[in-house]
Amino acid sequence: MHIVDGALSMPVVAASSVLAVGGMALGLRALNVDRVPAAAMLSAAFFVASLVHVPVGPTSVHLIMSGPAGLILGWAAFPALFVGLLLQTLFFGFGGLTVLGVNTLNIALPAVMVGVLARPFLMSGNLRRTAIVGGLASAGAITSTALLVALDLWLSSQAFWAAAQVILVSHISIMVIEGAIGAALVSFLRQVKPELLMAPLRATADRKTRV
Amino acid sequence: MSSFTLQHLPALEARAPTEEGIVQRLDPRMRLVASFGFALFVVSLPNIAGLMLALSLALVTGWAARLPLLITARRVLLVDAFLIFLLLMLPFTTPLAGPSDHMLTLWGQPASWSGLWHALRIVLTSNAVVLMMLALVGTLPAQGLVQALAALHMPSHLVQILALSLRYIDIIREEYARLRTAMKMRAFQLRRSWHSYRCLGYLLAMLLVRSLERSERVLAAMRCRGYDGRFPVNQPGRLSRLDWSFAAGLTATCGLIALLAFEPDLRWLAEVH
Amino acid sequence: MQMGEQTRTPYTEALLEAKGLCAGYVGADAVLKGVDLALYPGERLLIAGPNGAGKSSLLQALVGLMATDSGSLYFRGQPCVSEADFAALRCKVGLVFQDPDDQLFCPTVLDDLMFGPLNLGQSPVQARATSLSILAQLGLSRLAERVTHALSGGEKRLISLACVLTMKPEVLLLDEPSNALDEENWHRLVAILRELDQPMILVSHDQQFQAALATRVLRLRKGRLQPLDTAEQSQAGQAGQAGVQPQAAVA
Repeated sequence: MHIVDGALSMPVVAASSVLAVGGMALGLRALNVDRVPAAAMLSAAFFVASLVHVPVGPTSVHLIMSGPAGLILGWAAFPALFVGLLLQTLFFGFGGLTVLGVNTLNIALPAVMVGVLARPFLMSGNLRRTAIVGGLASAGAITSTALLVALDLWLSSQAFWAAAQVILVSHISIMVIEGAIGAALVSFLRQVKPELLMAPLRATADRKTRV
Repeated sequence: MSSFTLQHLPALEARAPTEEGIVQRLDPRMRLVASFGFALFVVSLPNIAGLMLALSLALVTGWAARLPLLITARRVLLVDAFLIFLLLMLPFTTPLAGPSDHMLTLWGQPASWSGLWHALRIVLTSNAVVLMMLALVGTLPAQGLVQALAALHMPSHLVQILALSLRYIDIIREEYARLRTAMKMRAFQLRRSWHSYRCLGYLLAMLLVRSLERSERVLAAMRCRGYDGRFPVNQPGRLSRLDWSFAAGLTATCGLIALLAFEPDLRWLAEVH
Repeated sequence: MQMGEQTRTPYTEALLEAKGLCAGYVGADAVLKGVDLALYPGERLLIAGPNGAGKSSLLQALVGLMATDSGSLYFRGQPCVSEADFAALRCKVGLVFQDPDDQLFCPTVLDDLMFGPLNLGQSPVQARATSLSILAQLGLSRLAERVTHALSGGEKRLISLACVLTMKPEVLLLDEPSNALDEENWHRLVAILRELDQPMILVSHDQQFQAALATRVLRLRKGRLQPLDTAEQSQAGQAGQAGVQPQAAVA
């Protein structure tokens, strides 16, 4: 899923980086001062989640959990997921430095989109429906990310077309796994801490007056 | 502030280099800017020869940073694992530029030299950038990174998110590890099953819930100590002579590489492009 | 007293036995430096010792959660060596963690209780029945549908014990089970533990708890298990008599 340095053409990298910076700006503006620690802590938790390896066939994949991040954080998923990617890149060398913006956009934009689309349906209806919506949102985020990666590759060079197809196919199992885990995650939150699914970064912002 | 370095993370069970090389004496800002500048430089190099030289430069820097050989090699190879199928596919998916471009034919599919060189360029680029980054930035302590990014005018909220996550990643990861141990005690094994996925979902959700609750306590404690949205980050001092010499040395070497790579008379070094 | 090893009849087979167990963390002094331990049917063995003596590490080593440097472990006389042995062992030896929050991770109490039985291969229907019967046995049925995260500390402790009991373990290991319990839940826990048939190892520094439950007391000191010295022993002896007469007869 991580695109590395040197694979993409300059225009693709530049355009993605500009869009990523825009997304980050929106995310940071959506963030009330009081919710910075919450965003940071959730960002840390999502980073830990991304270190979890799940067996797939003969190998294992690491989780991304961008769908739940989008459902919980809204636009703040941009800075939160960026921080995770930055740490992975700087400390482990996963992904690339010049394509940090590309990777951020590819992961955070679908997260924000499924968040916007799915959040209205999370709290209505029964628990099963919540789980289904959460699962679809998680799988949808991964699918969109894979599509964006494929698009980047295809736009950069026609020779990548086959590689892009391989990426799409190889992500089917990851979509299923993220969907299943996302469904359980969201149904847990609905039962235990529904505030998290109701735009926590906005809903609790008026606490400022109380503290 | 934080003791987070890469060795705390399980995926790599690695230890940060304990030996201090000359790189560790450089200012964090210089290390960040240098590795980003180097990345931009490498991405714009046109041919294999230039990339080989850039990779050598990264290797030398890695040696100067006393990067542990095995761990670094494994990490770079991990990145390469993502690239392998690209390397295998590109020769077949790149159209032949002419009859001389034909490398071989497998199962009726012609493979091109230009595709192979393209794949090789990507591998060299990404390895050179990753190595330089691991050498310069991977060896930074967490607070060095935060300070440097703040000094380089990263938006304050972003710096705060970064600083606080760095502070709490270890704690959350340990919480995760304890929960996983307790699950193991109740005969749980992570398999390809819906049961496994559901339990993992619950586990991660529990981490999120606890993280949010912890953030409320942290915020309260920060408020008790006068937090009003601004976050004090130590201002780093001036760059030392060592920093400037490093910058000059790196720029000069890169300039030399560029000269060799772009100079038409020296194209014999890189008859492939 | 029933405490000394030497008075035990040689025919009783130890359920869980450790010989010369050594373990520690990388880069630190060894925590366990040759622990010998045997748990017999009907016993409630209490291990005392100051904070940081390695009591929790000992429990973790006994079920293979912490790697040992040397020494051997036997369950019903069978040696446990490989991770596969320990994985099987952990289905029979239940460990209740010191902090219930390390153990409870499901949305509701019933989900958490069913987790173990499901891992052991029970069907969801069976697992549900097992879990409900354990809750009934402990008098906690009213908690079944509650959200685990919202329980009180004492309730979490009891539920974390129930979670282990649903797996029908043959041996119980409890790490500081009386920590942070209020008066009512303390008595409740003691009553529950006395009712259980399984032999158990209790790690605790709670004197009253020791008095109410222990049939034998060992102290972990300098990485080894030692019997209590005479003064302590008479104290423990009184406690054992006052607390658990019937168990004394077993040994």
